[in-house]
Formats: sequence, C-alpha cells, structure tokens
Amino acid sequence: MSEAAPADDGPGPAERLGRWIENALLALVLFAMIGIAAAQVLLRGVLGGGLAWADEALRLLVLWSAMLGAIAASRDNVHLRIDLLSRFLPETSRRLAAVLVDVFAAVISGVLAWYSWRFVAGSREFEDVVLRDWPAWPFQAILPTAFALIAYRYVADLPRHFRPRTGGSGGR
Amino acid sequence: MILTSLVLVLLAVLGAPLFAIIGAGALLGFSRAGVDLTAVPIEIYGIAETPILLAIPLFTFAGYILGESRAAARLVRLSSALIGWLPGGLAMVAVATCSLFTAFTGGSGVTIIAIGALLFPALVQAGYSERFTLGLVTSSGSLGLLFAPSLPLIIYGIIAEVSIDSLFVAGIVPGILMMLCLAAFCLWRNRANRRPLAEFSWREVRVAIRESIWELPLPVVVLGGIYSGFFAVSEAAAVTVVYVLVVELLIYREVPLRRLPVIVRNSMVLVGGILLILGISLASTNYMIDAQVPQQLIEIVTRYVSDQTSFLLLLICFLLLIGCILHIFSALVLVVPLMLPVAARYGVNPVHLGIIFVATMELGYLLPPIGLNLYIASYRFNRPVLDVCIATLPFILILFVAVLLITFVPALSLAFIQK
Repeated sequence: MSEAAPADDGPGPAERLGRWIENALLALVLFAMIGIAAAQVLLRGVLGGGLAWADEALRLLVLWSAMLGAIAASRDNVHLRIDLLSRFLPETSRRLAAVLVDVFAAVISGVLAWYSWRFVAGSREFEDVVLRDWPAWPFQAILPTAFALIAYRYVADLPRHFRPRTGGSGGR
Repeated sequence: MILTSLVLVLLAVLGAPLFAIIGAGALLGFSRAGVDLTAVPIEIYGIAETPILLAIPLFTFAGYILGESRAAARLVRLSSALIGWLPGGLAMVAVATCSLFTAFTGGSGVTIIAIGALLFPALVQAGYSERFTLGLVTSSGSLGLLFAPSLPLIIYGIIAEVSIDSLFVAGIVPGILMMLCLAAFCLWRNRANRRPLAEFSWREVRVAIRESIWELPLPVVVLGGIYSGFFAVSEAAAVTVVYVLVVELLIYREVPLRRLPVIVRNSMVLVGGILLILGISLASTNYMIDAQVPQQLIEIVTRYVSDQTSFLLLLICFLLLIGCILHIFSALVLVVPLMLPVAARYGVNPVHLGIIFVATMELGYLLPPIGLNLYIASYRFNRPVLDVCIATLPFILILFVAVLLITFVPALSLAFIQK
C-alpha cells in the first residue's frame, strides 16, 4: 500500500485489499462483541452471574470497533464535519480549502499517532495488564495504528483534489 | 488563545473533520498548560473504560439491519390497519411510525429514506396536498429521538453523567407531546379532507399482524425491559441485536447474507466517527475543566443573563443555531460539557436539560438553510431544497411551540422520575 490508486480505473488492488481487511476485522470485532454480550445476558438470566472477564473484554472490543470504524470512516471520507463554507466557494478556492483541511487533519492524526505510540510504549515498559494477566500494550496498540493509518489516508488522498472533477471516483 | 480558536473554527467551517479540530484543541491546550501530551491518548483510551458505550455499536448495527429489511413497510401496513380508518388517520400513521422507527434506528436520516418513501405516495394518493405531505414526512423524520433506545439520549447520559434510565423515562411525555402536536396540526390542516383512508377491516388487521408477528415483540421486550429496569441499556442492546439478526436474517430472510459485510461496515463507520470524537472530546473537556473554561463562561453569561427564563430562551436559540450546523452527536460532545455547569448555575435539572437539548436538536435538523433532514428529503423525494423548506415551515413552528412547552414546563420531563 505505497501509493493511492489511479483515478480512472476504479479501486486498485491495494485499495481493495485494505478495504477487505477492514471489513473482515470490523465483522470479527462486531460479532465477537455481539456473542459475548449475548452470552453475558443469558448467563446472568440463567445463573445469576456472568463471566468474570467478559465485561473488560467487551470494553476493549468497543475500543477496537471504534478505532477500526474510524479507519474505515477516513477511507470512505465520512468523518463527521461541519462543512459550512466550502460548498459556497468557487472551484479553485474550494480545492485549496480541501487541501488545507486534509493537510491539517493529516498533521493532527500524525501527532496523535506519535503520542499514542508513546503511551503504548510507556504501558509496555510499566508492564500494564488487562484481562487479569495479559499485557495491555497489544490491545492499546490499536490507537497509534489507527491514527497512523488515518494520517496516511489524508496524505494519500491529497492528489484527488488536484484532478479535474469527472465525478465517480472521489469520496462522498 | 483567541487566535488559535478562530483558526480552528475557520478550519471547521471549511470542512476539516471534527475529530481533528477537537484533537488540535486538546493537544494545544495541554501543551500550553505544560502537560505531557500522552495525556490525550490516555483520555481516548477512556473509551475502553466506559462500559455503557457497548450499547452504541450494538444499537447502531441493529438499526442498520432494520433499515435494510422491510420492517418499515410492515410497520406502516400495521399502523394503517389499526388507525388508518380514523379521519386524518394516515397522517397520524406517519407520525407514529416515524417516531418508533427513529427511536430504533438512531435518527440519522434513515427514517426519511425508509418510511418517508413508503408514506409519501400513499399520503398524496389519499388526497393530502403534496406540499403538506412533503413537510409532514420531512419533519416526522426527526421525531422519536426522545424515546428509548435513542442514541442521542444515551450519549447525553454518558457525557453529563446522569442516569440513562432516568433520561429515557423523562423523554416519554415530551416525546408524546411532540407527536401529539404534529398529529393535531395534521387533523386541523386537513379538516376539509376527513375522508378516512379505508374502512376498518379485521381481516386487514389480522393479515398485518401475522405479517409482522416476529417483529412485534421487539419494541415490547426492549422498551418494556428498559423502562421497567429489567435490562440495563447495554443488555437491551445485546438482546435487540441478536433478536434483529435472527428475525431479519433467518426468519424473514430479507437481508441477504452477502449484504452483511456492507451493513457491518456502514454501521461501524458511523460508530467509529461518533466514538472517535467522543473519545477525543474526553481529552479536550478535561483540558477545559482544568483551564476553568466553564467558570469563565458562567461569569460571562451571568453578567448578561439574570434569571432562568431568559437563560432558557437564550439556550434554545443557541441550540437551534448549533442544531442546524452540527450533527447531533458532534453537538453533544462539543456543547454539553460546557453547557452543563452554566445550566446548573441557573438551577436547570441535568435530566431536564438533556430532554431540552435533544428536543431542540430534533428541530435543528429541520431548520433552513442547513438542517440535514431538508437535504435528505430533497434528495429522496427529488424536490428542490427550497420547496422542502417552505413545506416544512408550518411544522417547524408547531414543533417549536412543543419545544417551548418542554423547556418551560419541567414537570413534563421530571414528574415521573424517582428522586
């Protein structure tokens, strides 16, 4: 996944593979969440008590679904935004504004990725644990990974703003 | 400080993603205060320390599945059979079905697309004017956010740290009030067209019930479970999602399995968007509290606003403005942490505040020039946005009256809450 797919002939193989991996992970995390949550409800109803590890596992899965969803949201270019002004701007300024905000988003995501990485490194050093005795850092590593991928996405999508608008391949 | 805020606001209106705006604010704030910036990801990691958040992906996914199935069509058929024979009945069908459907699907415009599309031709055929129909369908699309298991109420509860169960109970009467206001308006506007849609027929009722027999227990189980306190909110979410999966995928088989990856992705993209800004705003809120921003805000507001009534009026105006430029989820995470302490200063109950907030934001969805529902309706029904605006205007006024009542009669929200 080194460069953005060419504009005209649809998503390239890297794009398709990335999307496939995202979908697979999202489904995996979501259905794990559903399964464990449903099991908890059943066990509480039947036995009056659930699995000890389930609540913490569910919370970690929620974090993962949030960050994976955020990665997918930046690929689909559907992050929540206000976007009040740009639709009233003329074409050239609109493109300039789009470049400006994407560079800004990339920089902030990059900074967040860096400090998330420092957070994870610190957690590894102090040997924080989750789920009784598992090291916490692999679970936390989704944070820097997600922000790095989001930053990458905003950089990789920059050329899109310089292409003539033919409709179709751009984001929504 | 002021310059940075201005730059961030400018970037936001130019279309920068909100998580980057809030993140930049948090990073700059912490670095200015000399706090190590790993504080920001540590706050975001707070997503994994808030158990109730589990309800958000589960309810969202269930809502998306319902949106893909023909549940909306069955709901419309059943309620037409039950109340369609009343004079003006079809309009009331619209109000009732939209509310129920929005409560379960989270009100992201799904209602207009799924139910509006069914009702629009039916209403026009039944002799309602096209402009009236357009306004009704557009404005009903945001009703129902005050009923369980509405996501905005859940998120408000998380941010404001008030009991979500109380919020659900508090939302019942105001939610019904908004529905009644719209229904009464429909009756009055169409007093000339009292021709009932169809004769009441037991046969049709039976067929409609048999058709939706598998879905009927869902609102009963979920709403009953939540309102009675039998289920915690996240347990209700788990039950809903399993139930919906079994019914729509295995029994009705209307959602083909190969559609599932797309539905998973679309719903999780929304969840990611919401939770990301929620997580980052945990950091920015903490910074703002450290920097005593709420106190400064209180000082400024109390200088100009002396009593609760004028504060509430000001609040509604402010929320309407916010409601037409921000999506309800962004508005919740951005505005609620700042608004809470100020409102508390004027003696506004936080549960009541949540109801005011969501009710006003429902209205904000409809406000020209940028209310989201106007654009969804314009796109869906293929009418110019201006037409939709004009058609929706009388409905906006009616709902505004309802919002005023909800705001200035706190008992509507608070009467049934155990102290």
